[in-house]
Amino acid sequence: MTSLLEVSNLSKSYHVGGFPFKRRVINALEPISFEVPAHKTLAIVGETGSGKSTLAKLLVGAEKPTTGKVKLNGQTLNHGNFKQRCQHIRMIFQDSGTTLNPSLTISQLLDEPLLLNTDLDENQRALLIRETLQKVGLLADHMNFYPHMLSGGQKQRVSLARAIILKPQVIILDEALAALDPSLRSQMINLLLDLQQQMGLAFVLISHNLGIIRHFTDYMMVMSKGQVVEMGNTLDILKKPQHKYTKKLIMSQHFQLLNR
Amino acid sequence: MNLLDVRNLSIKLLTGEKAILAVDRVSLTMKEGEVRGLVGESGSGKSLLAQAIMGVLDDKWQVDADRFHWRGNDLMRLSPEERKSVIAKDVAMIFQEPMACLDPTTTIGEQLAEAVYSEEFTGFFWQKHQQRQLAAINLLHKVGIKNHQKCLKSYPHQLTDALCQRVMIAMALARKPLLLIADEPTAAMESTNQGQIFRLLASLNQLKNMSILLISHDLENVTHWTNTITVMYSGQFVEAGTTEQIFNCPYHPYTRALVDSSPKANMHIPVKSRLMTLPGSIPILQHLPIGCRLGPRCPKAQRACVKAPKVKNYHGHQVSCHYSLKDNY
Repeated sequence: MTSLLEVSNLSKSYHVGGFPFKRRVINALEPISFEVPAHKTLAIVGETGSGKSTLAKLLVGAEKPTTGKVKLNGQTLNHGNFKQRCQHIRMIFQDSGTTLNPSLTISQLLDEPLLLNTDLDENQRALLIRETLQKVGLLADHMNFYPHMLSGGQKQRVSLARAIILKPQVIILDEALAALDPSLRSQMINLLLDLQQQMGLAFVLISHNLGIIRHFTDYMMVMSKGQVVEMGNTLDILKKPQHKYTKKLIMSQHFQLLNR
Repeated sequence: MNLLDVRNLSIKLLTGEKAILAVDRVSLTMKEGEVRGLVGESGSGKSLLAQAIMGVLDDKWQVDADRFHWRGNDLMRLSPEERKSVIAKDVAMIFQEPMACLDPTTTIGEQLAEAVYSEEFTGFFWQKHQQRQLAAINLLHKVGIKNHQKCLKSYPHQLTDALCQRVMIAMALARKPLLLIADEPTAAMESTNQGQIFRLLASLNQLKNMSILLISHDLENVTHWTNTITVMYSGQFVEAGTTEQIFNCPYHPYTRALVDSSPKANMHIPVKSRLMTLPGSIPILQHLPIGCRLGPRCPKAQRACVKAPKVKNYHGHQVSCHYSLKDNY
């Protein structure tokens, strides 16, 4: 099986300091390579400043990579060609409350990616929005709501609807499950798993919660200081962690379970 | 003797036409040296309850209780000033987002010196400054910050989240409280830092016999650190008991759902299978269901649930449900 998303040698470095003699290079992300097949989920774990958000930004095209390539279905994605990339790779952010434009209704919010990326007419767009809202478990009535009228879980569903409305192949979840309440979180996990089965999506999940990672993901990548310290099958890594940082992370969460 | 004994506490929000019952007859007892978890999803009134205990709610809120005792003193009979002096002496509170709670324009040292309890100092006024500084440094040592020089000189934004939370705890410890209320102390923190903060709280509990009321929205995060747990839903009391009782054999359908929905507690279920979950989400304050507020979402709801159930007590395991799961175990 060929992999859906293929990343080779991707890296990012920033220049800081204004004066030439003070100028330094900070490697936010050392060169990394990995693959994600369709129907599978990759988890990225790491502490703050380990480069996981940088990686997410590079994948979605918000930052220009210093070196390396992102390939989707064997096709290279160029930086700047958003028409090509936006259709296939979408992102959901941590705080759904602040990522939705408060001055637009839900239907306007969902209309925007369609207007920019497709040439459907108005009726087709309305129909698609209706369908997508149903798919994420909202009603067609919600089309005329503004974001502040919805609860936290519903807002997160709207962001998910915005992500899947273009029928993408990869969705990047940047801590998208962290801020939700436990019962909403399991609803959201169920929804994401259903969508993965139906649409063959690949997810890249950035998270801290090892319980969710164990349940939800197939592969796992542990990052520390811009480097990948461990990569492989989720269950293998959780059972037999090799690196010091992974062990520490598992100790800090799992150890509570073993005692129980 | 119970440290804190609250029976049937209700908090009303006084709005234009009719008062909204935000917290509906919740009971809470704290013993000395106990760590109690207060668990509930966002909007379940757990922070309100903590604020009511501290007595910091403003005029919009009306607090009633059948019993509100602090170490045998009835707080409802005291005037607000007396009440404040009693509470301020023995109870301290720390908040979530420590960086937002510290003053960004003054150094940690000045803020700590302000919090230091100065009535214990002896000597002349020119000696007090020195004593104050020493006390601040001691407080920092107590919460495990060794490099006090650097910490005292820095501003909140120069420290990490976990360090800021330690400083907050240090301030709370200044008057040697008997009860520390921790309102989601580790929200939005990394798991390794979370562990540090929880370990610090646990050691304070053991060494100084300080009771801790640990408020959290996530059941699975607190179970390791608590002796007893109280669960709330939408301002109503759900269940209370020891951690083992709540986690291993919950009697209330809501607690059952909370435990079932946590992927961490269910390591045996196959990967990528569907998790158990309740339909819908927590109701908003304007549209609260009558009777048991879990009613519309509850899998066991029947006709009797339109009346709020009475709290039943089974050997210290209190549950408020008409159809408790007690017989299932």
